[in-house]
Amino acid sequence: MSNAIDQTRRMLSLVTYLRERPGARVGDVARAFGITERELVGDLNVLPMCGTSFRGGDLLDIDTDGERIWWHNPDDVAQPLRLASDEAISLLVAARAVAGLPGLRERDRTALTRAVAKLEAAAGDAAEGSARVGVTFEAEGSVFADVDRALTERRRLWMRYYSSGRGEMTEREVDPIRLVSEGHTYLEGWCRLSEDRRMFRLDRVADIQVLDVPSDPPPLELRDLSDGLVRPAADDPQVVLEVGPAGRWVTEYYGHEESLELPDGGLRITLRTPDPAGLVQLALRLGADGRITAPAELAERARATAAAALSLYADDGQAAGQHDGQADGRAADDPAEGRG
Amino acid sequence: MPIAKSERLMNLALCLMNTRRPLSKRELRDSIEAYQEAAESGTEDSFNRMFERDKDDLRELGLVIDVEENPLDGESGYLARRDRNRLPEISLDAEEAAALSLAAGVWRQARLAGAASGALHKLRAAGVLVEAAESPTALEPRIPAREAAFEPLLAAARDRRPVTFGYRKSGASAAEPRVVEPWALECWHGHWYLAGWDRDRKDVRVFRLSRITDRVKVRGGAFTADVPDHVDVRQHVARFAGEGATATARIRLRRGAAFPLRTKALSVGAVDPDWDELEVPYGHGLAADLTAFGAAVCVLAPAELRADVIARLRAVAAVPSAATPSAATEGAAL
Repeated sequence: MSNAIDQTRRMLSLVTYLRERPGARVGDVARAFGITERELVGDLNVLPMCGTSFRGGDLLDIDTDGERIWWHNPDDVAQPLRLASDEAISLLVAARAVAGLPGLRERDRTALTRAVAKLEAAAGDAAEGSARVGVTFEAEGSVFADVDRALTERRRLWMRYYSSGRGEMTEREVDPIRLVSEGHTYLEGWCRLSEDRRMFRLDRVADIQVLDVPSDPPPLELRDLSDGLVRPAADDPQVVLEVGPAGRWVTEYYGHEESLELPDGGLRITLRTPDPAGLVQLALRLGADGRITAPAELAERARATAAAALSLYADDGQAAGQHDGQADGRAADDPAEGRG
Repeated sequence: MPIAKSERLMNLALCLMNTRRPLSKRELRDSIEAYQEAAESGTEDSFNRMFERDKDDLRELGLVIDVEENPLDGESGYLARRDRNRLPEISLDAEEAAALSLAAGVWRQARLAGAASGALHKLRAAGVLVEAAESPTALEPRIPAREAAFEPLLAAARDRRPVTFGYRKSGASAAEPRVVEPWALECWHGHWYLAGWDRDRKDVRVFRLSRITDRVKVRGGAFTADVPDHVDVRQHVARFAGEGATATARIRLRRGAAFPLRTKALSVGAVDPDWDELEVPYGHGLAADLTAFGAAVCVLAPAELRADVIARLRAVAAVPSAATPSAATEGAAL
């Protein structure tokens, strides 16, 4: 029923809007409210059924010829309404979060700060509680400005980028598509090296230059990112992990196809990834709290990597103490990362 | 066809906003067609429930509805006074409007996304928000809130209502019931955390929303502990994530490898053509971070960190790659 709530919310503002703008164009109104013309016409079909009494004919006389909208008996009931508490909170929390975004242009930051102060004043009591919700974006400001500029000026980027899957630095040229911040900030771009679109985490960019070359990505449809920024493809390799209770955090950080409870309180997690080698890092991080069970080559690779790392400590011999199992798994390094 | 809920809510809102005297429930039922239908086809009870729900919904939408006694018959009535429902004077310049429009688009959570655009609609309808010429930045900031517990906890924190939920602590195999007075919510690294007073533990606790295992239920009664003016959820979470470290560790790093560790380094010096020596902050979780980089990292000091990393590596190295039954089954299943 949240649809009915949203529609009611919108219609309450719509009558205020229409009263001030006799003969408003359908296209303009739809755009102002961020809805399709079809949705707007849906609202316009409901409004004439609304009023103070269905008997007395005291209904809103609003109609449209499909192009313009007319309200023939506007009355002062359509006054601008105060903000609801969820409206004030959602807007204030978002505005404060964006104002704290590292790399935001200073002018935009001060404009937001001014807007927040005005909004707080106008919202009054409704703003109460907004201070109880906070959002922090990560500080990745140093390369942010260059990426932002490349996008605005439509120019190609050169970067030295740390590929987490390969565990090494790579150099590549990228045509930027968009910049998305969700926890970390990511550049989505067309990578000229791999001839494919990639997500780059800005905190893994070691070096960046805005090139004097126009950006020229192939025509692409923007992907819907609502299920997360990094989504494996259906034909990506499948990997199975078994974790103990202390490794359950894996499901909170890695998108997975399935996770089954194990008798010991652990989980068997099945996931797909374009880059299975990247999961060797995860296996190492898990230590005694989990392991890769399939494919066997990948499990062997994790084992061999650990053995190679152990050889660096050859002097310690058996002196190394028993693992005390205190691994917490609050991985400070968010494992969500792009193909790249 | 039954009358749509949005039409019913809109009618109730218009009736309440248009009256200068309190309207009784009976009067409202007589004026609103959907209520007529409900009263005729259902029971008095079903109409009453519908009416109560609708009032709650309108209040959630920001309408201030007063309940007053009608001086004539002593019956209680309802009205939404204009002065209490009007948007106060506010004016925004073009830059402020553009910045707010950007901010309103960040929620990736249906309820708050709807609320934020609802706020913009009200400002736009009032003529406060001029059309923004262009977005101030190419950036799309996004605030996710995929956790089901988010919405009820937000409402409970706002209304200062205690809640109960099942919670599985990090590393625990089973969930335990918790009774919490929710104080503040914080999104950090893209994950949501709740700080509040844990009644059973009689102390402040921070909960990660993704570890809440069942529905959040609101309890009756008020908060029992004082709510601090400022709740720093982030500081608490950051401590567990290894930030705010007080000690340092010395490590060797293969040149060109493990860039994320390098960005944290307090000092870097070359040892030989292949290896660098770094000093890094030593906080919670560092051993796991270091182990993840495998043979690119060698811990020098302190000794307990070195021992921890070795123990972790041994655990991984000792796992037979294909000999365990479960690995064999999974392998065959592929």
